[in-house]
Amino acid sequence: MSAVAQTARHYGEFARIGFVNILAFRLRYYTGIVTYLINVTVYYFIWKALYAADANFAQGFDFAEMVTYVAVGWVIRSVYFNNIDANIATDVQSGNIILTMLKPTTVLARYLGQSLGEAAFRLVLLTAPTAVIVALIFPLQAPASPLHAAAFLASLAGSVVLSGALNFIVGAFALEMKSILGLLRAKFYVQELLSGLLLPMTMFPPALQSVLAWLPFEHVAYTPLRIYLGKLNGAELWTALAAEWAWAAALLWAGSWFWGWMARETTIQGG
Amino acid sequence: MLGRVEASHLVKEFRGYKRREGAWGAVRDLFQREATTLRAVDDVSFTVEPGEMVGYIGPNGAGKSTSVKMLTGILTPTSGSARVNGFDPYRDRMAYTRTIGAVFGQRTQLWWDIAVVESFRLLKQIYEISDADYKARMKRFDEILELNRYLNQPVRKLSLGERMRCDMAAALLHNPPLVFLDEPTIGLDLLAKESIRRFLQEINAGLGTTMLLTTHDLADIEQLCNRLMIIDHGRVLFDGPLHSLKGMLWRETQVRFDLKDPEHAAPLRTLEFEGVRLEETDPLTWRASFDREQYAPGEVIRQVVAAVDVRDIAIEEESIETIIRRIYTGGAIPSLDKARTR
Repeated sequence: MSAVAQTARHYGEFARIGFVNILAFRLRYYTGIVTYLINVTVYYFIWKALYAADANFAQGFDFAEMVTYVAVGWVIRSVYFNNIDANIATDVQSGNIILTMLKPTTVLARYLGQSLGEAAFRLVLLTAPTAVIVALIFPLQAPASPLHAAAFLASLAGSVVLSGALNFIVGAFALEMKSILGLLRAKFYVQELLSGLLLPMTMFPPALQSVLAWLPFEHVAYTPLRIYLGKLNGAELWTALAAEWAWAAALLWAGSWFWGWMARETTIQGG
Repeated sequence: MLGRVEASHLVKEFRGYKRREGAWGAVRDLFQREATTLRAVDDVSFTVEPGEMVGYIGPNGAGKSTSVKMLTGILTPTSGSARVNGFDPYRDRMAYTRTIGAVFGQRTQLWWDIAVVESFRLLKQIYEISDADYKARMKRFDEILELNRYLNQPVRKLSLGERMRCDMAAALLHNPPLVFLDEPTIGLDLLAKESIRRFLQEINAGLGTTMLLTTHDLADIEQLCNRLMIIDHGRVLFDGPLHSLKGMLWRETQVRFDLKDPEHAAPLRTLEFEGVRLEETDPLTWRASFDREQYAPGEVIRQVVAAVDVRDIAIEEESIETIIRRIYTGGAIPSLDKARTR
């Protein structure tokens, strides 16, 4: 079997087990729907107050767009969010990571595959019901055009891979640092902020904006959301989508290289 | 060659830092630290032939786990090399890991919250096991381990013994020519231990699987292994069959005499017997201890029986535990230098 087919099979199999595994926790997702609804509601009222004070508050987005931005943003977060970094950290700390390292597969396939299965599960049980309820409660706009809708889905898929690759790299630090709880927490807030989920990038200082444009983070939420709202058109849209997927591929490659490099001189804890 | 383990002059050093005591020491550590080097494995060489079952023992911190990690490709040696199943474990990791199985008594490779069979299906895919092989092996595992009862249960609902049976099967599902077993019977009750040992014996006898077993339960070694390696302070202290360890280090034999009547014990108090220690355990029981090279038990028994009326006699060997304890505490090292010839 070719290496590509073999890798795909491993991802598929870990995704399957990730899906089955998370079924055991399905109760958690009913509460998840409530959590996401609360988040959207809170941000709705914050933005409403801000726009009441200044109708041009977030440059480039009017209030109707901003409501859609927040609602769709939280809905897609339920898909691209993953715990790869925390899972790796736990397994490194307990030493159970050794069990994966003794298998003819890659650590990347193991953790990213599992998280893809979980994402598929959440798409059905968390994202879809949340989207329906949010759409019923809040005045949301539809995607700008069928083309934008399709590009949005492609971009969302990119977010899933990109966010997985980013978290994998963070998780790989656990090999050296043993305990990365502090790092995980810092990363969590940085990623929420820099992804564009909490604030559109237009609200950052211009100098910071131009730096962030060269980093992968804003592709996680800001790029798919701008595509959804029709803020990116023509060449701009394809450039953004290509940049997002290029980052995803580059970080996947970097992550698996980084893991190999970290694992070279590491000691796995416990007997 | 499959099933063969070759370690030659394996060395692993870990670098660390000395820590000063107390709060002020911790502050000073921030600026200047003293590096230390720990030699966890110090020039370890051995060969295991296909089909052997080898016990690999040593006290905690002896270097067992570190050497096993080098043999499995998790760690790279500081110097020396390993060739296992014909592979360099670290460099050929992908191809190599297909040919080994590993069981850790303290960990499980099964997915905790879902049915056992899901983990088996995952392994089937990863090791690319054909449907026919999978069915045949599962049937065989069921015959010895009675797996089918647990297959549809989530792992967290299994007892330790049941879980361990499943872990055994999971590690052997791809029929590896070599298996690493790390304390496979830890925490198990007698029946579960028996069942695991019988399973390992059948697999070894039927398939010629090489097994390298680290354990603190010497009954595992006595029942399973035809060869024993003892490692301490990173060095191999003994490598050979269990009986030759006994032959080399079993110094003392004890004979227990149960007397018919405590009144008649008087002659024993005056019995002069060079090299034999006669001790009264209680009024009815006496013990004679002597060097097994100086006397045969028969000679001692004859002398005692001639002097007093004896109801019962028992010859007590030193247990393997006692012998190994003597090695760990260092008392047996000189005589072991002879043993390092293999």
